[in-house]
Amino acid sequence: MSLPVKQISVNPLSGSKPGPVVEMLKDRSKPKITAVKTTDPSTVPGITIRLENLSKHFGDLQVLENLDLSIEPGSFIAIVGRSGCGKSTLLRLISGLEQPNKGTVFYDGKVHNKLNEDVCFMFQEARLLPWHSVMNNVRLGLKKNQFPKALDALQQVGLETRAEEWPSVLSGGQRQRVALARSLVHEPRLLLLDEPLGALDALTRIEMQSLIERIWLESGFTAILVTHDIAEAVALADRVIVLDQGKVDLDLDIDQPRPRQRGNAQLCQLEAEILQRILTAPDASETAAASD
Amino acid sequence: MKKLCIAALSVWFKLTKNLTGWLLPAFLIVFWEIAARNGWISLRILPSPTDIVHAAINLTLSGELASNIATSSARAGWGLLYGGVIGLVLGLLNGLVRPADRFLDTTLQMVRNVPHLALIPLVIIWFGIGEEGKIFLVTLGVFFPIYINTYHGIKTADPQLLEMGRVYGLGPWQLFSQVIFPGALPSILVGLRYALGFMWLTLIVAETIATTSGIGYMAMNAREFMQTDVVVLAILLYALLGKLADTGAHLLELRLLQWHPGFRNS
Ligand SMILES: Nc1ncnc2c1ncn2[C@@H]1O[C@H](COP(=O)(O)OP(=O)(O)OP(=O)(O)O)[C@@H](O)[C@H]1O
Ligand SMILES: [Mg+2]
Repeated sequence: MSLPVKQISVNPLSGSKPGPVVEMLKDRSKPKITAVKTTDPSTVPGITIRLENLSKHFGDLQVLENLDLSIEPGSFIAIVGRSGCGKSTLLRLISGLEQPNKGTVFYDGKVHNKLNEDVCFMFQEARLLPWHSVMNNVRLGLKKNQFPKALDALQQVGLETRAEEWPSVLSGGQRQRVALARSLVHEPRLLLLDEPLGALDALTRIEMQSLIERIWLESGFTAILVTHDIAEAVALADRVIVLDQGKVDLDLDIDQPRPRQRGNAQLCQLEAEILQRILTAPDASETAAASD
Repeated sequence: MKKLCIAALSVWFKLTKNLTGWLLPAFLIVFWEIAARNGWISLRILPSPTDIVHAAINLTLSGELASNIATSSARAGWGLLYGGVIGLVLGLLNGLVRPADRFLDTTLQMVRNVPHLALIPLVIIWFGIGEEGKIFLVTLGVFFPIYINTYHGIKTADPQLLEMGRVYGLGPWQLFSQVIFPGALPSILVGLRYALGFMWLTLIVAETIATTSGIGYMAMNAREFMQTDVVVLAILLYALLGKLADTGAHLLELRLLQWHPGFRNS
């Protein structure tokens, strides 16, 4: 079976860098988005992202190096890779929480360098304010007249009955659902997820995955999920990106219809393929660099 | 019938559960009374519990007790207010503003290392034996625990929550009021409880040395006439007021820190 593997070149000039419009018209997977693609970018639910030549180092440690990447609006991207390979750092650069040492992040073709209200970030920890009730946590950062939206968001994640409780009495999965609701009230056009399900048990995790998938399908935002769990990546994403040594090592489209069946043979095949790639990654990247 | 028995038993257990802590003190007081009556302890050294109760009744009837308690409490209250406000403001300022911290911290650390009770002679020269001197001393005693705990609470604000707050578009004031200050509150309240301890301690010393009113004055006055019952009464009053202040602070904790699993009263 041949996989739609795309090797990203190290040389930024030879990499494909089409303009945002071309990028949007290039059909990826979700016909739902194509209906609105021709309109003004700011009315499209998802943000188009382009990373150009992105580099980041901490002291002597080079975490990301000349990274190029384009992400279509409304797509679901998963980023996987070894621990410490810079996944969180990449996400933080994309969000604007941190600045790259070199290179640029573009949102809808415009330079993005600080946090804005179109982007929400879900962390590995729920990061709820323990001194606010569940409801007030969801309302965080909203104006008074937007408060009714908080209840809708809690209903979306199925926690409207727990609105008046303290976060400390909720289970880990419920806290992450509150965190998800808190993101959703802001109607993000880009949702960044940094291993938000990493600390949950397997069953809760699967439930949360379907919840996230459902909400993403309904709202059409662009989603970037960092995860350790490759099964999760292939189950959710349109496209899986493997990071290694500061570069994109593998960029793989997952052209599987939704809803996807867990344990589906093709998904398992893809999962094994990616896992293999990560495990043998150091050699692969060396040969790629050598052939350049 | 059986139900009734069980109910009565459970009430009995509840009562005894709350009472067991008081058994030993009650026994000691009874023993003390017997010892005093039989002349095992000289009344000059320690009055009997009934003597103390008599003294309390007499002083209450003459109105002396109430006025002395009021005077002492007012001193404690004003000192706590001034010291608390100054400590809180400086703690917030130094915790939040780096340059202020660099500028003030050395000075404050030096001030802390002066035992404030050592200032009493100077304070008497400055203020005489009026109210200001005592309030000044209490202010000094209360200031530092509040300051250091506020500062610590602010400095240990959770960076993850701060980052989350920035992601959701909170401005500086909202970050302070919704993330930093509530997070520092447990620490500030610990500071308050320490401060209450220092408040009474300072007041006791200050009132015994230079005053014409207050509980400490009452005790010193009684000493001259060898009224040990009044002296012991004064000591008990201090203990009682201290306990009362601490209970107040604890109730405040229960009220303000409801969200905290450690303070949930259920
Ligand atoms: N603020 C920082 N200062 C110094 N080094 C940092 C900082 N943030 C990240 N690093 C380093 O950068 C590297 C990449 O970190 P990052 O958190 O992006 O990894 P990751 O891929 O998310 O790993 P994990 O899967 O374990 O979460 C690590 O070696 C880390 O030590
Ligand atoms: Mg990480």
